[in-house]
Amino acid sequence: MKLRKLLLILSMAVLFVVVFLINAATKNIEFDGSLIFTIRNLCALGSFIILYFTIQIYKSERRKGIIRQIGYVAVWTGLFLGAYLLTSFIPLKGFESRNFKLYPRDYITIFLSSLLSIVAAVFAVFVTLYLKDLVHYKRKKTTKRNFLFLMAFILAASCSSLSAPQGENSVLERFFTILAVLLIIANSFRLAWIAYLPRREKFYALLYSFLSFLGFLAILIILSVETGWTQKGLLYYSYPLYTFVRLISIFGAVYFGMAGISTLFHLPTAAAFDRKQTEISSLHNLGKLINQVFDLKELVDTATTLTFEDIEAASVWLEVVAVDDERNRLVSSKNISEEEIETIVSHSSSIRSVVLQSKKFLLIDSVPEDKRTTYIPKMKKVSSLIVVPLLSHEKLIGILYASKDIEYGFEQDDVEILSGFADQVSIAIENARLIKKSIEKERLQRELMLAQEMQKRLLPQNLPHFKTVEMKGVSSPALEVGGDYYDVVMLDKHRVGIAVGDVSGKGVGAAFYMAEVKGIFQSLSKIYSSPKEFLIKANEALYGSIDKRSFISLFYAVLDTVSGTLTFSRGGHCPMLFISKERQEYIKPLGLGLGLVGTEKFSSTIKEEKISMQSGDICVFYTDGVTESRSSEGEEFGYERLFDVVLNNKRKSADEIKEEIIQTVWNFTDEKGYHDDLTIFVIKWIA
Amino acid sequence: MSDFKVTIRDHSENIQVLDLKGYLDAHTAPVLEDAFGKLLNEKKYRIIVNCKELTYISSAGLGVFMAYIEDVRANKGDIKLSDMTPKVFNIFDLLGFPMLYDIVSSEKDAATKFAEMK
Repeated sequence: MKLRKLLLILSMAVLFVVVFLINAATKNIEFDGSLIFTIRNLCALGSFIILYFTIQIYKSERRKGIIRQIGYVAVWTGLFLGAYLLTSFIPLKGFESRNFKLYPRDYITIFLSSLLSIVAAVFAVFVTLYLKDLVHYKRKKTTKRNFLFLMAFILAASCSSLSAPQGENSVLERFFTILAVLLIIANSFRLAWIAYLPRREKFYALLYSFLSFLGFLAILIILSVETGWTQKGLLYYSYPLYTFVRLISIFGAVYFGMAGISTLFHLPTAAAFDRKQTEISSLHNLGKLINQVFDLKELVDTATTLTFEDIEAASVWLEVVAVDDERNRLVSSKNISEEEIETIVSHSSSIRSVVLQSKKFLLIDSVPEDKRTTYIPKMKKVSSLIVVPLLSHEKLIGILYASKDIEYGFEQDDVEILSGFADQVSIAIENARLIKKSIEKERLQRELMLAQEMQKRLLPQNLPHFKTVEMKGVSSPALEVGGDYYDVVMLDKHRVGIAVGDVSGKGVGAAFYMAEVKGIFQSLSKIYSSPKEFLIKANEALYGSIDKRSFISLFYAVLDTVSGTLTFSRGGHCPMLFISKERQEYIKPLGLGLGLVGTEKFSSTIKEEKISMQSGDICVFYTDGVTESRSSEGEEFGYERLFDVVLNNKRKSADEIKEEIIQTVWNFTDEKGYHDDLTIFVIKWIA
Repeated sequence: MSDFKVTIRDHSENIQVLDLKGYLDAHTAPVLEDAFGKLLNEKKYRIIVNCKELTYISSAGLGVFMAYIEDVRANKGDIKLSDMTPKVFNIFDLLGFPMLYDIVSSEKDAATKFAEMK
């Protein structure tokens, strides 16, 4: 790009020099229609074309706002005018006119004419480009075409005099000039940019337009003054350039004349237009805000500030109704203290209830006169007041107040802005709340997953292996965590303690007690090897330490893995299912749930039983999740089904029996059914 | 999912009856708690809980009785349970409730037992 620019400028300079040299060399020579004359004109034209592209590159690199552009037009007009007038006052010998042709009398005249012509060309090109931008603002289909036609006619008018010597007006040239002027008028109606200027900038536009208009007018006048050498200098240098500058100046004068008048007429509505613009942009800002701000406090603060600025209020405050209780919480205010708000609200309680009930905005044009607000102590900045409810799904989530320091201060526009605002803020607040809620929910979910992992680890990870007996257990909570429990502990070399229990209730509460039971079991089972004794001590530990309405049912059995003797007690838990050759039944020794009563009552009721296991004998411990699970029809699984499953599969291994029970329960409850925490523990004597 | 209802009715001058109906679990337990709370607030400590239409009771439901029994007995009253279906009785029985509460076959029996207490 840089190289290209350099090349352009270089070749342009060469052409300028060539033209100057030819001019100087042919100072007094008659060369009408000769080759050298055409070459000179072509060189001049070439230099202008290069100039056009150079300036276009320069200009496209530095794009400017509308006002700056008009300002530059005014400046360029002034510069050219100044240069023109300044050179006019230099006393030079000027030109001699013979047969409508100009002959310079000295070299300095040639030089200054060249210089002025270059300035004129730069001026014309700049003005053309600026005008092009202005005309193309908010372009329509025909805009580009019209402008191209205009430029074509201007160039045609200029070029039609290319071969003619200075000062001659050909018919063709006149024809094109008239067409160009017609198109100038047509293009001068392209003034769309005025409407979109802010009010302040409209004043500048007016000023610059009139300055430019006057400048172009002045240029047109001095270009037609034939006394002195200056105008002749332009004509002498290049007649097409002279025509071009003149036509562009006409364009400029007409365009900026129209622009000036149009801007003048736009001024009265400028303020209203500004407001609409602000309204759109502030709603847009608020829209962006909704997607960015999830912090409620930050959100309402921004909303209050935006409201305050956009409707030019004297004070603004926003109450957000708390979700959990009906009490209103002040969240944000602008230019008003909390005490002042308190004073206003407490002296005009009827307003709030009206807004709360109607769910529509309420406008008090005159606070001192309106009977609903007349008791409010006089406050200058609260002369008129508007109260807008913030609604989400027809539910009130907040109230937006805005006041102005003059009575009847709120116009229809303000009301519309505020209503639009209220809608957006409502959505934003609702969003912020929902996001907060979902984050909280996600956090709790994670915590629960963690709790679930922890609880899984409270169950035995590996069961001991014996040659004489198989044992398998499984536990599945209904929710993330549950109150079911089973555990196995080696009491000595041969004896193993097995516990299956159930904490009342479900979920997290139950899970805590389950962990407590685990601790008690692990510590007490090794000290008290008799199941009855163990349960008495476990009850002692639990009674009084847990909530009154909570209790734990626990079945505890001690198995001698050498002799096959199973000793057990039941603390309010489901009976054990025993299947042997001689005996197939639920065994249910007497005993209360743990944590229900004190030691005296508990120990007086609990019983201990003993059985001897033979090869193929099966014991099933379980929680009520098995027997009380229900089908989609509401039927309970019950004891008989459990009994049948175990009896029908008694030849299978402990692991297979456990699986059969689970499968049968799952099939029975299906998807719509219901089950509680569910635990199964199976032992089978195989010696 | 489950429906549960408690109605309070006077049996005689100083004995109140709670009629339980439906499915008593962790979700519906507060309904029964409210009913007990109300009776205790009115200093009515002789309570018969009629379980005729109680279809199921979970551990959380059983817990409700434990929450109030101490208070009631401390005030020389009692909670007596009557008219249980065998299924519901089995749940009470597993936990050993018959050792803690009077579980009788009818309201009349319960009233008689209250009368004996004097």
